[in-house]
Amino acid sequence: MASNLAIQTQGLTKQYGQALAVNKLDLEIETGQFYGLLGPNGAGKSTTIHMLTTMTAATSGEAWIAGQQVSADPVAIRRTVGLVFQDSALDRTMSIDENLQFAAAMYNLSPSEADKRIDELLSVFGLQEKRKQKLVALSGGQRRAVDIARGVLHKPKVLFLDEPTIGLDLPNRRAIWRFVEQLRRDEGMTVFLTTHYLEEAAACDHVDFIQQGQLQHGGKPDELIQQLASHILEVNTPNPENVIEQLTPIFGIPIREDEDLSFKISADDVDFHQLQQTLGDSISSMQWRKPNLNDIYLWTFCSPEQGQVA
Amino acid sequence: MSWRPIKAVVGREISKLFRQRARLISAMVRPMIWLLVIGSGVGSMLDAQQQEAYLTFLVPGILAMTLLFASLLSALTLVYDKEFGVMRMMMIAPIAHYWIVLSKLIAATLTAMVHAILLLLILLVLQLINIEIVVSLLLPAFLTSVCCAAIGGLIAVWSKSIDNFAVIMNFFIFPVFFLSGALYPVNQLPEFLRYIVIVNPFSYGVDLLKHAVPNVNTDFSVMTDITVLMVFSISAIIVACWRFSRESVHEPLFHSVPKR
Repeated sequence: MASNLAIQTQGLTKQYGQALAVNKLDLEIETGQFYGLLGPNGAGKSTTIHMLTTMTAATSGEAWIAGQQVSADPVAIRRTVGLVFQDSALDRTMSIDENLQFAAAMYNLSPSEADKRIDELLSVFGLQEKRKQKLVALSGGQRRAVDIARGVLHKPKVLFLDEPTIGLDLPNRRAIWRFVEQLRRDEGMTVFLTTHYLEEAAACDHVDFIQQGQLQHGGKPDELIQQLASHILEVNTPNPENVIEQLTPIFGIPIREDEDLSFKISADDVDFHQLQQTLGDSISSMQWRKPNLNDIYLWTFCSPEQGQVA
Repeated sequence: MSWRPIKAVVGREISKLFRQRARLISAMVRPMIWLLVIGSGVGSMLDAQQQEAYLTFLVPGILAMTLLFASLLSALTLVYDKEFGVMRMMMIAPIAHYWIVLSKLIAATLTAMVHAILLLLILLVLQLINIEIVVSLLLPAFLTSVCCAAIGGLIAVWSKSIDNFAVIMNFFIFPVFFLSGALYPVNQLPEFLRYIVIVNPFSYGVDLLKHAVPNVNTDFSVMTDITVLMVFSISAIIVACWRFSRESVHEPLFHSVPKR
């Protein structure tokens, strides 16, 4: 395999009984990339991460991390990767320091190495003052920060972040992303991210989508957005059928959620005011806006024919 | 393979043991209740000489009980760690997964020995035993606590959550304890109960402890006790390690199975 790949998979599959959690996944992620895997709950994102980090074995197929075959030497893989689990992996009854010292010892760092590294990371997260505090005394955002610090104690080549900002408020989410950016910049880690908050994935170099274990190749967020449409037209109407009938010949089939319709507009010369007049009283409101990653997600996962949100 | 991660897991358990002093003290109360309440209660039905003999008979029994509870409960922290996420921290560490089980069982054995030594000191102060008996009980106590840790390890790797803790208490700890000869001589039991005692590995630990106390009747030979304890412990630990290494493979610990 090519040596500049941080992560490669070939036909990676995970089956639980009859359920296919991940189906024949083929991925190639270059070293140093910030990669995002997006998809709804239960799509197979976590399972993919767990297979790549030896937390669960693949049913079939193979994966390589930094050129090492995952199934050949799980211990070596665990030395190479860092994983921030979706659920906390910390002991709430212990202090930040005790937790991180314990994790560092698990990575075979000497107490003095660990001490230096913990100091370094806590200063990135602004938590030096709280080092001796018990975890129960911290806020959700601070605990998540400690979780991330734990994941990067051993300077992994590839860092896996499984929904790192789930359940956090906006300021905390922003703070977490600043830390991840800084870690990436300072330590040149390849980052593999899964998230529900699509706007966060806009910073990725590359995003792919996964649904029901099936990978749908994406691309660079900016390019995907450009390719999708030049604008999105959102219409709220008490008579969706009429509006669909009127507009589908011009813009194509919309995504429908009850009384909300969303059309992809590719042409640049659509006259918004004219449109407003044509639709007149049959609509309650309409919005004309630039597409974003959420639209990519919706148009990837919601088939307009069914008009249902996945 | 470095010893630092193993030392960290064992150290974490030991520091918790000394941090939770109330638990350590309450673990001493249980055997004392048995000794003073049951011992005196049953003893009151006996004449003075037999009463003293029964108290001596109970010493290895309550020591075994202390080892069983301490070692088994400590091994069961494997289940707590699964539930509270610390297990993730250990599983993502670059060590083979069976080392997690081994470290936990080492910690369980050491925890049980701390309990045992504390209890022996109390019994020494109460003048129920002398220092020679204390010394001769140490090695049997060690082998018994390894055996109990192994039983705990087996239960722990098969338990998914701490919810079934009451089940574990009722179906494992109590039968293992009561059907071991810790409280009464095995040869006086009805035949079918005696068979249960014979297949219970803990019985051999109790018996080995009895060998260390003079004037207490034993049921098996020292050789049989040591052989059974060692063969059982090694086999149980191997099975627990095997099962645990497999666990991450077949049953995700992370609730990640898609529900369809």
